[in-house]
Amino acid sequence: MVREITYLEAVREAMTQEMERDKRVFLIGEDVGKYGGAFQVSFGMLEKFGPERILDTPITELGIAGAATGAALIGMRPIAEIMFMDFTTLASEQLVNQAAKLRFMFGGRATVPMVLRTPAGSGTGAAEHHSQSFENWFVHVPGLKVVMPTTPYDVKGLLIESIRDDNPVIFIEHKLLYKTKGAVPEEPYTIPLGKADVKREGRDLTIVATSIMVQRSLEAAEQLAKDGIDVEVVDPRTLRPLDTETIVQSVKKTGKVLIVHEAVKTGGFGGELAAVIAESEAFGYLEAPIIRLAGREVPIPYNRELEYHAVPQVENIVEKVRELVGLKV
Amino acid sequence: MAKEVIMPKVDMDQETGTVVEWRKKNGEHVTAGEIILVIETDKVAVDVESPGTGILEGIAAQPGDVIPIGTVIAYLLSEGEDLPGRQTSASNLDQETPVLKEEKTFRQPATPLAKNVAAAHGIDLKTVVPSGIGAKITKADVVAKLQGEYSEKTDRKVYASPAARRTGRENQVDLTRVEGSGPKGRIQATDVLTFLERQDRTELPVEPQSIGPEVIPLIGIRRTIAERMTANYQNIPHIKFTSRVIMTEFAAARIKLNERATRFDEQKISATAMLVKLVAATLARHPYLNSSLKENDILLHRDINIGVAVALENGLIVPVVKNADKKGFAEIAEEVNDLSTRARAGKLTNAEVKGGTFTISNLGPFGIEQFDAIINAPEAAILAVGATQFEAIPDDDGIIKSYPVMRMTLSADHRIVDGAVAARFMADLKTILEAPILTAY
Repeated sequence: MVREITYLEAVREAMTQEMERDKRVFLIGEDVGKYGGAFQVSFGMLEKFGPERILDTPITELGIAGAATGAALIGMRPIAEIMFMDFTTLASEQLVNQAAKLRFMFGGRATVPMVLRTPAGSGTGAAEHHSQSFENWFVHVPGLKVVMPTTPYDVKGLLIESIRDDNPVIFIEHKLLYKTKGAVPEEPYTIPLGKADVKREGRDLTIVATSIMVQRSLEAAEQLAKDGIDVEVVDPRTLRPLDTETIVQSVKKTGKVLIVHEAVKTGGFGGELAAVIAESEAFGYLEAPIIRLAGREVPIPYNRELEYHAVPQVENIVEKVRELVGLKV
Repeated sequence: MAKEVIMPKVDMDQETGTVVEWRKKNGEHVTAGEIILVIETDKVAVDVESPGTGILEGIAAQPGDVIPIGTVIAYLLSEGEDLPGRQTSASNLDQETPVLKEEKTFRQPATPLAKNVAAAHGIDLKTVVPSGIGAKITKADVVAKLQGEYSEKTDRKVYASPAARRTGRENQVDLTRVEGSGPKGRIQATDVLTFLERQDRTELPVEPQSIGPEVIPLIGIRRTIAERMTANYQNIPHIKFTSRVIMTEFAAARIKLNERATRFDEQKISATAMLVKLVAATLARHPYLNSSLKENDILLHRDINIGVAVALENGLIVPVVKNADKKGFAEIAEEVNDLSTRARAGKLTNAEVKGGTFTISNLGPFGIEQFDAIINAPEAAILAVGATQFEAIPDDDGIIKSYPVMRMTLSADHRIVDGAVAARFMADLKTILEAPILTAY
């Protein structure tokens, strides 16, 4: 019987085990020490590792990202935490123009082995500035890797792999996933970046979903299974590098594809996924248009009812799958 | 100032020219008099010289395009000069260009090539649906109309999923025959499979999928042949006479002639060359077979110019041996060889295919025993020559002997050649072919 822990605990365990293994690993961010993190992810770590390795900073996201980039350049392996993904806009100069570029500019003689962890997503009533999903901004930057884990198992394995990776990794957690539970081995393990996971096998339709939308798609799939609709759910887990092969094979099998993500539809990662599928050999197997289900074209509203309807929910996924499978589109 | 390169008029009755190939490309520097392209009229291929010196730009006609004479098909620019804004036909044209005139009466704008293809097939451009820029009818539109694709394909563009298309391709199913079950009638892969199954179940012989004929526009030399053959066959009352000729002496004479040719290291003398000479010699005594009907007059030609039909890959052409009655076998042989070689290479000049007064078509080398030909107007007659083969013929005593025999058929214009006139010519020709020595009489 494998032990069950939460997603949040899995993140903490991954950080703790890597810090125990490698002295170069440290955590830097706002309120990560004494307060234990805005979501209590690093709760207890200050006591365990001391203030030299669990660094509380002023409110300066650019400073956190810059310090992490510089530390990584001189041989440390920092984990930087940005309290809400919304604030990565402030950190993006260091991430996009420095961390992502340095390895190329120095011909591979300099590396930036850092991880920038940050929670994204809506659903907590935190309104416009604490609910956004900016993953595709970073997917657009060569030199960055972008990871979006869904389960406690994935988040531990992927975080350890990200800490050990020699490139800057944007590691996007989801606030609503922090409390979800799942089986996670106690010992350290890694999951390779760029490897998708088929979370549920099916033959009628492929859902490619990211982060919390994987969970909602799995729930939708369970409901649809009662009506005999057999849905396959593919979780890319890493957006860059992307495991196109697994996605293409799935679409070739089912002939219909629904892409689900929380970020706003226009300019979102779903467009990239749709294009990858349309450009691949899977094109000739499509039985219907590639459909995207994603966030509405609005900032996340404060009103809880409106917030709920701003991003895809299980019932929206069920409805779209029915349309596609029933050849209504 | 940009200099215009126009489709030239190289022949009196020429209305269009077909681009065969460009010898120079856009951006290449050319000097006046240099060959820049090859065009084909309905009779011959012509090298076109550059009208000036400069950089060739704006080539607006591709190989195969049929272009009305006078149309600007490219420009010569000086260094750094831009192409003129729009292409108009040369203003200094003094010849009529009927195709351009027709353009004014067309409501529907169309490319020159489209007009030609439509005209060649008797298609009214008003019935063609344009797809080109600015609703211009293009050649593709006319060809589509010809293939009847409008009702089949364009009006009923197939709405199918990518998977259905792939399934259709893999199983060679014409998707226009498949009913779609998807939204708005979209054909799904399962529809294609159902279609296939139904076909199998009813055990219909699987029809080979019709892909329609290959369409070759009736243009250039092929169109000329078609028009002339039709006109000549319909307008001229043909009468036909076949004679059997024993070729023993003809063959012997040819051997003698070739022995001499070999000795002097000259070209061999073909049977066709000998026929040209002997026919010409005979025509000198039968002026009505060497004549033309022109409106109210019969022209009895004093020159005897023998046309020799030469088969080409895409048609036939009839180069002319001028004054054949006044030339010797060797000279004619050399001329016929030269003309037919250049005919096959498309290198004949206009003058070399004009002025014939009588034509010989020799299909003997193909093993044809006997055939008759359509008169090549405005000539009055044509001689169709078959193969020489051994035949058993009884002599006056009823003894059967074997002889090399050739059958030839004269087609004559009955308006000017009476039966007896033709018969006398044939008898005379038979005599001289059976005893070629008589040419020297």
